[in-house]
Amino acid sequence: MDFPITITNTENVTGRNIVEFYGVVTGNSVRAKHVGRDIMASLKNLVGGELKGYTELLQESRREAAGRMVEQAQSLGANAVVNLRFATSSIAQGAAELFAYGTAVRIE
Amino acid sequence: MRFEPRLPRDGINISQEHPLKEAAILIAGLTAVFAVLFGLVLVFVDLVVMLVPPSAEARVFSSWSAEGLDLRREGPRVEAVQALLDRLVRHGSDMPYHFRVAILPGDDPNALALPGGLILVTDGLLRAVESENELALVLGHELGHFHHRDHLRRLGRGMVLGVALAVVSSAAKTRLRLADVVGALTARGFSRDDEQRSDRFGLALVQAEYGHVAGAWRFFERLQAAGQGTAGVAAYLSSHPGNRGRIDDLESYAHEHGWPASGPASALDPALSR
Amino acid sequence: MSFESYMNVLRFSSPILLLLVTYLIGHGIERRHLARLRAREVAHQRFPVTTFAVLPAGWQPTSSSMVSGSVVISLDYFKRFIASLRGLIGGRIRSYEPLLDRARREALLRMIEDARRRGFHAVVNTRLETSRLANARKDGKGTSGVEMLAYGTALRLHDPPA
Repeated sequence: MDFPITITNTENVTGRNIVEFYGVVTGNSVRAKHVGRDIMASLKNLVGGELKGYTELLQESRREAAGRMVEQAQSLGANAVVNLRFATSSIAQGAAELFAYGTAVRIE
Repeated sequence: MRFEPRLPRDGINISQEHPLKEAAILIAGLTAVFAVLFGLVLVFVDLVVMLVPPSAEARVFSSWSAEGLDLRREGPRVEAVQALLDRLVRHGSDMPYHFRVAILPGDDPNALALPGGLILVTDGLLRAVESENELALVLGHELGHFHHRDHLRRLGRGMVLGVALAVVSSAAKTRLRLADVVGALTARGFSRDDEQRSDRFGLALVQAEYGHVAGAWRFFERLQAAGQGTAGVAAYLSSHPGNRGRIDDLESYAHEHGWPASGPASALDPALSR
Repeated sequence: MSFESYMNVLRFSSPILLLLVTYLIGHGIERRHLARLRAREVAHQRFPVTTFAVLPAGWQPTSSSMVSGSVVISLDYFKRFIASLRGLIGGRIRSYEPLLDRARREALLRMIEDARRRGFHAVVNTRLETSRLANARKDGKGTSGVEMLAYGTALRLHDPPA
């Protein structure tokens, strides 16, 4: 995933120092899948294998959530987000919430 | 590492689009999709019904009996109405039914076509009609239901619509109220079309029997004047067209076919007029 | 109008009325909550919260404890209705976003307020968890609310930052 600022799920960015830290930033994304994907998934339930439709859906979702988190970080004046974590949960039948959170920092 | 207190901009995690606008688009879009879907399904049922031979339909409904209803099947009034019914049947119905009439006690003017060839009229109806032409239109309307296979149609529609709604519900993983509403309204629309067709069929029988259609719909006009009709939105939502609509349609249908709108009204059989 | 037509008009218009009313009330509640959240966030701005465990140089913790904050936010009828429509055609369920945002911020604020009240100066190693509460319906489907939990390690520092 390509973002305008550095993001990492470690506590430090390799080779750089954290100079300032600002606070927790979060980004979320709630998406539902449409009937088409659902039908394919039901068929796949019979034969097994990767549910490509869902994989793509959740990837898009993750990108969106991380993107919003980055937007929050940028609005603070940060240039990196460390200790990034993702969390997924099922919010409603057929809909999943994805959120990303981390700490916005300034690295040098 | 130094702590620098700062807050992110507000509202990044919230979409700016107005929820009502989104709701309106979703509802409008899905309503259109459902209306088309259910409409197609119901049209399909109508096509299939036409392929079923009348004898098969008669077999389906032959086990339907009106036992348990408090009906009057004998007496001078029944005979008088039956006589009128027989005259009308001679003018046109190729349905393999032996059409019988019975009287249902009740003050509400109403007429009913039961599967199997039984036509019910209420006490209230017999009291409310003032000429034989009016009663003939009512009976002709009920004969129209048999002629157009409306019982089989309704059976088919009910089943197929039930299946369609179940499919939609399982696709959406939840019972969609919207689909139910659109389904009900579409079915009612088709039901109103049935009623209109029956009205017209009845009028044709009246024309064939009397040579004119004068006075046939005066019964509806009286109901309309007494405020017992539905109008506007309420008419759209019900399964019968409103009285005003029925009268207008009958008038224009008669006009289209050049049926005379004036002529002597035939009096009711003495047994019926009190 | 006849009784049948009254019942028909009622039957078809009541869902629309219910939607509108729940939208208006839910929207009002949401706006107020969002405003209060912002105000509280501004008030607690100077309280450091991080998601990592590395401590800044110069911080000397004298004691620590786990703190948490949680909240359950309910879904209103309008939101659930929109989500059910979305379940057919897919896409972003925009109506849930403010809900989850409010839940998360409320949980974080409660954690911060809990830590502050107990005399701590910072919270590190924060984690956030979401879970859905199932409806009490027979089939267990449907959502009656969303729970958000925020938890972390609160530190009492020898030299508290500002």
